[in-house]
Amino acid sequence: MEFGPIFRSLLRSRARVILIVAEVALTLAIVANCLSLILDTRAQLARPSGFDDEHLIAIQTNPFDDRLRDQKVLDRLVDQDRRTLATVAGVRAVSHTGLRPWERSGNITAVRVPGTHGEPARTQSAEADPGLFDTLGIPIVQGRGFTEAEYDHGADAPLSEVQPVVVSRALADALYPNGGALGKPVADAEETQRFTIVGIVDRFYNPFGNTSEKVMFQPARSVGFDFGSRYLVRTQGNPAPLMPQLEKALLGVEKGRFVQLRTLVDSRDEFHGRDRLLVASLNAVMALLVLVTALGIVGLTSFSVAERQRQIGTRRALGADRLAIVRHFLLENWMVTSFGVVLGVLLAYGLNFGIVTWVAGAKLSLATVAAGALALWTIGLGAALGPALRGARVPPAIATRNV
Amino acid sequence: MLLYNLRLAWKSVRRYPVLSALILLGIALGVGVSTTFITAYHVLARDPVPGKSGSLHYVRMNSWGVADDPFRQTPPPLITWRDAQELLKSRVPARSTATFASRGTVFPPDGTRPSRQSLRLVTADFFPMFDVPFRYGGPWSREADARPETVAVISSALNDRLFGGANSVGRTIRIEKTELKIVGVLAPWRPRVRAYALVSDPLGAPEPVFLPLALTGPMELRPAEFQMSWRTPAPGEEKLPYASRLLVNEVLFVGFWAELPNPESVRAYRSFVDAYVTEQKKHGRFPHPLNNRVTSVLDLMAELKVVPPQTKALAVISLLFLVVAALNLIGLFLGTVLARASTVGVRRALGASRWTIFVQHLVECELMGLAGGILGVLLSLAGLAVLNRVYGDGPKGVAFFQLDVPMVLAAVVLSLLAGAIAGLYPAWRICAIPPARHLKSQ
Amino acid sequence: MPMLKMDNVSKIYRTGLVETRALRDFSLTVDEGEFVTITGPSGSGKTTFLNVSGLLDAFEQGTYWLDGMDVSRLSDREMSRVRNEKIGFIFQGFNLLPDLDVFDNVDVPLRYRRLPAKERKARIEKAVAMVGLSSRLRHLPSQLSGGQQQRVAIARVLAGDPKLILADEPTGNLDSAMAREIMEILEQVNEAGTTIIMVTHNPEHAARAHRQLHIADGRLVDFERITPFPLNRVERTESSRQVAG
Ligand SMILES: Nc1ncnc2c1ncn2[C@@H]1O[C@H](COP(=O)(O)OP(=O)(O)OP(=O)(O)O)[C@@H](O)[C@H]1O
Ligand SMILES: [Mg+2]
Repeated sequence: MEFGPIFRSLLRSRARVILIVAEVALTLAIVANCLSLILDTRAQLARPSGFDDEHLIAIQTNPFDDRLRDQKVLDRLVDQDRRTLATVAGVRAVSHTGLRPWERSGNITAVRVPGTHGEPARTQSAEADPGLFDTLGIPIVQGRGFTEAEYDHGADAPLSEVQPVVVSRALADALYPNGGALGKPVADAEETQRFTIVGIVDRFYNPFGNTSEKVMFQPARSVGFDFGSRYLVRTQGNPAPLMPQLEKALLGVEKGRFVQLRTLVDSRDEFHGRDRLLVASLNAVMALLVLVTALGIVGLTSFSVAERQRQIGTRRALGADRLAIVRHFLLENWMVTSFGVVLGVLLAYGLNFGIVTWVAGAKLSLATVAAGALALWTIGLGAALGPALRGARVPPAIATRNV
Repeated sequence: MLLYNLRLAWKSVRRYPVLSALILLGIALGVGVSTTFITAYHVLARDPVPGKSGSLHYVRMNSWGVADDPFRQTPPPLITWRDAQELLKSRVPARSTATFASRGTVFPPDGTRPSRQSLRLVTADFFPMFDVPFRYGGPWSREADARPETVAVISSALNDRLFGGANSVGRTIRIEKTELKIVGVLAPWRPRVRAYALVSDPLGAPEPVFLPLALTGPMELRPAEFQMSWRTPAPGEEKLPYASRLLVNEVLFVGFWAELPNPESVRAYRSFVDAYVTEQKKHGRFPHPLNNRVTSVLDLMAELKVVPPQTKALAVISLLFLVVAALNLIGLFLGTVLARASTVGVRRALGASRWTIFVQHLVECELMGLAGGILGVLLSLAGLAVLNRVYGDGPKGVAFFQLDVPMVLAAVVLSLLAGAIAGLYPAWRICAIPPARHLKSQ
Repeated sequence: MPMLKMDNVSKIYRTGLVETRALRDFSLTVDEGEFVTITGPSGSGKTTFLNVSGLLDAFEQGTYWLDGMDVSRLSDREMSRVRNEKIGFIFQGFNLLPDLDVFDNVDVPLRYRRLPAKERKARIEKAVAMVGLSSRLRHLPSQLSGGQQQRVAIARVLAGDPKLILADEPTGNLDSAMAREIMEILEQVNEAGTTIIMVTHNPEHAARAHRQLHIADGRLVDFERITPFPLNRVERTESSRQVAG
């Protein structure tokens, strides 16, 4: 191959080489960092809640009729609602709960192993009826769920009484790192209230307040005139078509209230909205950047081909076949791109360092950089191919033409 | 001469249509992408209360509970109702307000089905402090806060819905069980960053109803957004009436703002807050060391990362994009310009000075730069429309990200700059070569 | 055996609706070792003839044998190979590759022949020495005079050791002293056995060939040998005779 002469001649057409090298280097730096950000965000986006999101509807009801200011009426209404919702055809399970999956809201409390000191563990906490685990589709892997008796009793239980709770594996491990959390006690941070872990669920992910995997469920009713009550409904099939029926059923029970229904998938999409937008933006920036760079390489290579028609003719006269001309331009381009790629790898790490320290994000992985470098090499070659083929079509007779 | 140069430029555009299109596309993409993401950044990062962000200060007190880590760096983001009441009494700040968001049922005057609305509880000072624009009427008085009077300020959208957009000042609406007299209707108002709600939901839309803070107890309004408590209620506490409970519990849900126009007043206010907390320590509250904060809006925005870091990263990346686009342009211009080396040689031989040639080529680059910039601004409108689909307020709402005049100007300047930077080197190259070389070439 | 044999070769250029018949039923035989010059008015088809005979351009009709091989219908690859191995070109404009120095310029055809590096180096150095430019191996074309550039071009041909050299007005861009120098080198190369066909406008140079052809309007007009073989030597200049020994 003609590495030597091409290299030496490249050193002499500096402007063009510098331009392509700089463009490729910057592009690689940007692409690698975009890729890194995308992968980072995508990993977040792809994380499952552990629930049967695709078949869940969250219902929020808020009373406005003054009749409903009576707590007893509201309590009774909850049981009526649960029964009514369960009878709607296509409903698989119903739960009355304070849990708000994918809504960035809920309760966060601090708990500790009774008698210990130091920073308590922060965890989400939510009221749950016995049907919650079946409704979410998360099995209890150790111990048991709640009984109706525990649930009915929940809100009125005196503080002194020990309440049963179901916790997620992450919380169990945080409290009892050596295992065996089942049956063990938990208390709130000031130890004014005590709980016993009666069950452990394995899967739980509800990103909210830095406590995505930790949760403590209590068998309690959460209903009040000012915050209403909330249900989760698990359907057998597609949940969306069932929503009007569910709304009608609830209003049939009591129409002095607002009823809002939303599929969990909608909430999840909204939760992910900005991250998705980020991924889409990064993808767009990357694609456009690569397009611009490719156009630039096409342009510069085209010029260099156009400028060197006579040289191509001469080479052809001296015995180069078409393939040799294509090879020449590709090789030349590959060498320039390679300079750019090498410089770009350094720049990519530099830019990443800047982004990580000044803005946010993850460190660049070697694989990402390698992927970016490979992509740019391919793009560089691809962009040069067209002009190179055009160069190969230059007739050899051009060499003898005297302009 | 400029006209002649413009004509020459137009001719060369016509002579190389594909190439000119490429150049145009290059600038347009560069300007479009960077304008889109810099606008997104700018909309979020700019001063949310122009001219006042320096004087508006947010107050935090180190009220973490006994059980909390005593080494926490920052105090909790909100304060209790009773501390807010005490701070409101201070006359150190020119104005001050305490605020939180609640929710309630709004009954239309015509007796149709009620609706559930977000409510914001504020004091009279809130409106001038945050430059809230009024269409009809105005804020209630400080006396109305003190009594308190059952008054309300509603948004223009709610006014449109309930009163068909008419001047509803003096009319009443019912919220929960209370009849409220409307004293003001806001003009359409959509701050992109709600300075007064930085710790809860800074990018959300303003609430449709504003009520005097003092109505919280009588109307039994609960915080809807964000509340924290480090203490489990004492036995019997929950049986107290809501208004009394507010005065004894340790629930953090109120944001507190003070208008402190100069550093002296900030210093004075800091010592006031510290003195207050020291005094409270005597009653067994604030168990941790003094660590109170009085933070200006912009500092608080930075601390809370109101501008998502990804938006910043995108702005940086899009600027680099512009650099690549400019490099690209240099290459393409260089190509076109050198391709015409021989015609330039003829021009030089016919007596065109080096300067004339230089200007001629620069004019051409600037023309392309400007055209590309305009196209880029159009592209960024499309880009922002896409962003607005996620951030926007729905079909009737105002688009979240909008190009403002400074951004458009910046884009145009940017494209002219790109044209100049990209054109300078090729133009210099072409006029630096002696005429003879072009003439005899090849 | 003839080095070059053309039978009724025609070459037509089509530009739009205009047809230019640059060669009309062109027949010619050139023997191995001959030095043939071609003269003719501008636009008569001299360059076209060189292009066709150097396989730089295709032709429409007729047959063409080069070195005993029918080269009328070859693929691009085969033609390139023939050009590379059998033919050497010398152009009026020198056609050196401006980004390459003398060494690399001479190297170009050898690279296409895929010769090993050692042999290439030996050939390059020998050829450059023959044109007296050994001290300029790392000079760029722009750093050389016209005559020196043409000598590099000749070295490029010599390094390839072709059987046939085609030269299109090789002295056209040079002053008379330079031109004479180039002519002497060419004659010396011919002496060593290489066939040369040279287009020239210079009657003095034309006259120094073994055979002088005249083209007008795409046809050979004068086919006879103007000067018989042996007589040619007599007209040589003093210096070249010395070189020739
Ligand atoms: N590529 C081409 N396309 C069209 N016509 C051509 C082409 N090349 C040459 N011709 C025409 O063919 C004819 C012969 O051209 P050629 O270049 O062979 O002339 P020439 O004898 O070498 O002239 P000169 O002495 O001026 O170099 C001319 O009429 C020319 O216009
Ligand atoms: Mg000619």
